[in-house]
Amino acid sequence: MASSTAPSPQPASGDQPGDPLSAGPELVVRSQGLDKIFPNGFQALTKVDLAVDKGEVVVIMGPSGSGKSTLIRTFNGLETIQGGHLEVLGYHLDADNNQKVVSKIRRHVGMVFQSFNLFPHLSILENVTLAPVWVQKRDRQTVKKDALALLDHVGIREQAHKYPSQLSGGQQQRVAIARALALSPQLMLFDEPTSALDPEKVKEVLETIRALAAEGMTMVVVTHEVGFAREVADRVVFMDEGTIVEEASPQTFFTEPKEERSQLFLSRIL
Amino acid sequence: MAESPRSSPRSRQLLLRIRRGLFASPLDTLITVVLAVVCGGGLWNLFHWAFLQADWAVVLSNVRLYFNGNFPVSQIWRSWSWLGLLGALCILTLMPSRLLPPVVVRLLPLLWVLILPIGLLLLASGLGLEPVKSRFWGGLQLSLLLTLGTILMSLPLGILMALARRSSLPLLRWLTTGYIELMRGMPLIAVLFFGQLMIPLFLPEGWTLNRVLRAVLSLGFFMAAYMAEDVRGGLQSIPKTQLEAARSLGLSPLLTVALVELPQALRTALPALANQCVASMQNTSLLAYLGLIELLGISRSILANPDYLGRHLEVYIWLALLYWAVCILMTSLARRLERTLKVNGHH
Repeated sequence: MASSTAPSPQPASGDQPGDPLSAGPELVVRSQGLDKIFPNGFQALTKVDLAVDKGEVVVIMGPSGSGKSTLIRTFNGLETIQGGHLEVLGYHLDADNNQKVVSKIRRHVGMVFQSFNLFPHLSILENVTLAPVWVQKRDRQTVKKDALALLDHVGIREQAHKYPSQLSGGQQQRVAIARALALSPQLMLFDEPTSALDPEKVKEVLETIRALAAEGMTMVVVTHEVGFAREVADRVVFMDEGTIVEEASPQTFFTEPKEERSQLFLSRIL
Repeated sequence: MAESPRSSPRSRQLLLRIRRGLFASPLDTLITVVLAVVCGGGLWNLFHWAFLQADWAVVLSNVRLYFNGNFPVSQIWRSWSWLGLLGALCILTLMPSRLLPPVVVRLLPLLWVLILPIGLLLLASGLGLEPVKSRFWGGLQLSLLLTLGTILMSLPLGILMALARRSSLPLLRWLTTGYIELMRGMPLIAVLFFGQLMIPLFLPEGWTLNRVLRAVLSLGFFMAAYMAEDVRGGLQSIPKTQLEAARSLGLSPLLTVALVELPQALRTALPALANQCVASMQNTSLLAYLGLIELLGISRSILANPDYLGRHLEVYIWLALLYWAVCILMTSLARRLERTLKVNGHH
């Protein structure tokens, strides 16, 4: 398995260990030699090296089973790692998967899932206010005001008192984005955010993500949406069989991919 | 089959439907006639017995005993007022919530928890009232007290055990699983006997627990095992993705259980839990065989009175009606709760 270690674009300055979040580290995510082995022995990630800079939008593409989702799920500790080293927002994590570090990371990293995963027993507003009230222990009234502003931002303020099941898929996904943003994250992870949507709902969700990118949010997006990747991504990462095969600007990647596997993949989806 | 013309009056359509449903073929007709004769005959006999042969004095002269047991007559208002409070709470709960002030609606769950201590205070003593020993408690009032006590004890205990059963600590998991299997493997009557005889042995020197409390403890420990299994079923129905969403929002394991898992699990388990609550009510009747004079117990002692010799049928029909009425009330309360929860975010 050729582990093509792509050089990180700029060796960022603010990556001193043990000094989380102070002076705004330029490097948001750095994984070095990351290994993920599932309990059944399947190796989902092999020696993955990836760096994400502050304000960067990285799109990860690749065939299903290539480890793209697994990779971003390690970034907020939803998947443990079995080898290598991970640094997220200045917090260091390795194979011991220290739960204290993981819970600190989660307070600053938002995640949006393919299947929305809203809480069905809570109203839209309650879905958004849950974490700020209970995790950040912020004042209920302020949180509510902020949440309504966020819902307004993603265009569903009118539905604030409805329940997830009463909303369309596109609306639910936009609520999920608002819910993740409510914690004022410094990194947003999107795990195939439009794959479970009807084609006509894909656009509204992508618009929301695009707007977020324009505001300078650091994002890692796993998606199959070529158009989105082309327009929004600063960098496209192509994965296959648990390794990063190619990293390039969208321009280069979609017009003149270097690797044979990338070419094969693109010839199938374009 | 004759086509029913559109313009035919309703009665004619009804007639046609009856004909099609009950008398479509000779066999259908035969079945209909035989069933009608059997049911009609049964009903006729029942009414004949109920109005001409039965002597309802055994019920009518003992209403106080059925409802309040041997509660001292001078203090009987306490027993009636608790039953009245309970009834009022049922009516409040069953009323459409838009007819009630929002404060009352919000207080209802608390009132349901408080009704038990209020009952104990009213019946036993407290509030400067004359103490009434628990052996004078009886009848429907005692049955309801036992039922409420059992539910309020077994539900939290069941939830805790359901959570313990999937704990990551093996010892805790084995202990709860063992406990649940043990309780489910024992007949309730055996548990109740154990409770009455064994609990005093476990108490420190000089401590006593009255029979009612011992009964509630045994019933509660028994029902908790069943409740735990129902809650566990509810917990298992929650998709793993819900937990991932909670974790990725930074919710601690405890908060995830309290805010995401349990609310959903209890909703799913609600019909099964309601079933257990009704069963709890029926189960209290076993305590008649342990000397408690709850509804069945008091009825047995009434039947032992020579004045009412041989009036078993009247008493047991009356009892059946009472138990049935309470259970209907409980199931409507459960359905009401189900509807309220469904309005607040159905899946």
